[in-house]
Amino acid sequence: MLKKLGLSVLLLIAQNGAEAAVRDFTLHIDNGTWTITDIGGTTLAIRGYGAGAGLPTVPAPTLTVNEGDTVNVTVYNHRNAQHNFVVNNVTTDTSPIAANGSKTYSFVAPAAGSYLYSDTLNNNINREMGMHGAFIVRPADNSNTTWTGGPAYMHERTWVISDMDKPRWNDVAASGGTVNTAVYKPNYFMINGLGGFDAMMDHNTMIMGTLNEVTLVRIVNAGQFSHSLHFHGNHFEVININGVRQPEPFEELDTINVPPMSVAEVLYTINQTGEYPMHLHTAQAETANGVYLNGGATMIMMH
Amino acid sequence: MKKSAYILLAVLALAAPGLQAAIINKTFCIGSLSKTLSGKSVNFWGYSDCTGGGGGGMMGGGGGMMGSATVPGPILEIGAGDTLNLSLMVSMMSQEAAPYNGHTIHLHGADVQTMEDGVPETNGNKVNGDTYTWSPQEGHEGSYPYHCHVHTVKHLEMGLYSAVIVRPRSPSGAFLNQLNQDFATAYDYSQVYVLSTVDPAYHTASGDSTVFADYNPQYFLIGGREGKTTSAPAMTLAAAKGKKAAFRLIGMHSVNSTFQIKDSTGNAKPFTVYIRDGRALPVPKTLTSLDISPGQRADLIVSLPATTGTWYPQVTYKTLRNNSPYATVYGKVTF
Repeated sequence: MLKKLGLSVLLLIAQNGAEAAVRDFTLHIDNGTWTITDIGGTTLAIRGYGAGAGLPTVPAPTLTVNEGDTVNVTVYNHRNAQHNFVVNNVTTDTSPIAANGSKTYSFVAPAAGSYLYSDTLNNNINREMGMHGAFIVRPADNSNTTWTGGPAYMHERTWVISDMDKPRWNDVAASGGTVNTAVYKPNYFMINGLGGFDAMMDHNTMIMGTLNEVTLVRIVNAGQFSHSLHFHGNHFEVININGVRQPEPFEELDTINVPPMSVAEVLYTINQTGEYPMHLHTAQAETANGVYLNGGATMIMMH
Repeated sequence: MKKSAYILLAVLALAAPGLQAAIINKTFCIGSLSKTLSGKSVNFWGYSDCTGGGGGGMMGGGGGMMGSATVPGPILEIGAGDTLNLSLMVSMMSQEAAPYNGHTIHLHGADVQTMEDGVPETNGNKVNGDTYTWSPQEGHEGSYPYHCHVHTVKHLEMGLYSAVIVRPRSPSGAFLNQLNQDFATAYDYSQVYVLSTVDPAYHTASGDSTVFADYNPQYFLIGGREGKTTSAPAMTLAAAKGKKAAFRLIGMHSVNSTFQIKDSTGNAKPFTVYIRDGRALPVPKTLTSLDISPGQRADLIVSLPATTGTWYPQVTYKTLRNNSPYATVYGKVTF
């Protein structure tokens, strides 16, 4: 709850400053733990960015700005190791923040869309252990359109997808060992840091709406595996892939493959009533350590 | 169930009085079978068409009078505007213990009502037989997988999958040899490539085993066959030079994959993709390589050259982590 609260405060600040051209954010890098609840769940050793000191989250706080804003992100590194903060396809400074040091990254918010930020150091181990999040750029007028003059939507969801190899990566790294990165066999798969049993009830993850309502889904794959997302109930329109706006009319799919470090934006329209799952279609990615449906899955509730 | 079917039929009758829509009633049963893959015997579960078979499953592994279970299961062809009533008869002992007992048929990509969707978590756990009704509309021609949605990580891997092909009909009701109502999609030959992969450890594990956390595919299939070399292809098509061949790719595998068509010297030949996931592309794409991820489909056409020869449609299966290849499975087209 506390972890979620930190995120909410950040979002509130961003929303209240809708007219402001300068957006200031603060992130803190710490060690922590992350729990996937219910059958198959576990507590994972993580390292992550948090909204407050000592409160790393998976994923890291979503940073939301408007196109053209000046963005200042100050990152405090409370770990005894080097880290960085890179917004994929947006910022270029990959130099480290010193152990127990800090750094402020300043840049101009790019074209409206969804971006992934992460720590790019340490051979993907830092990103795998939780150092990843979504950077969302809304249109300059902050309207519910995909971009200025683009399609309108009523709801939006950000799905940060992640995978973790607890025994070979998280456990080893957290105990100071050397991870053999040649082997990666993730046994936990999450949407917004949640196993499926939680994500299927989480109102910030589920798609919900009534007839003809449109939801913009921002799919951000922070994992090391490609993830193939299958939506039941209706097809979706693919509007943006890795910052590239797709031509209209948009292609319609029911399954989209999002490679590691990639982003896809889709529009899902409620066209009937009912309850439908959305899940990853690869075998093990639906599970939490083998337990069916506590992996990459959520629900679509159409009323 | 029946009520919704009647409503759908009534709507169809009102909406398209001139359409020669068919009502297609099919019954599937489920059985066990073994396949020899790379010299090893692997146990599978498969669907069989037991329409009119009056039961089935009497022999445990048989599944019905009209033929025994196969992997992939029967490929159904229906017309856009038709109504498919696909019944599943589950008369044998449960193959997994509760809560993963029973089976369903999920019409993947059909976007049907919740009660037709074959998902036990949303249909009131109806896993011991049901009728799934679908009326694909015109414009939704293309290729759709179907698969069991009970404990999918296990049941799909076990072989409970195949395809429904939705074809365009002429005004008189005959199937058109086109991918949809667009004349540009006309073809002379067509073939369905069902892509799948096999981790034998998944075939012996059950329940919430940690085996299901780690997928290590050992066997790579098209249409249920290995096709490891061009001289022993998984699929063969005897076509004629100068003609058009349609390929329908159905992704029921659990890794990444790339489809290509190569000539006998290894040159990749262009093909045109008209439909993805049962929806016409706004602009058809001519490519020499197409990625198909788990759950995806593509309907494409290749123009065969004016001189005789042999081409090899092929699927390279790749890791989810970095696309390093596992294996290539070959098809073959002679013309």
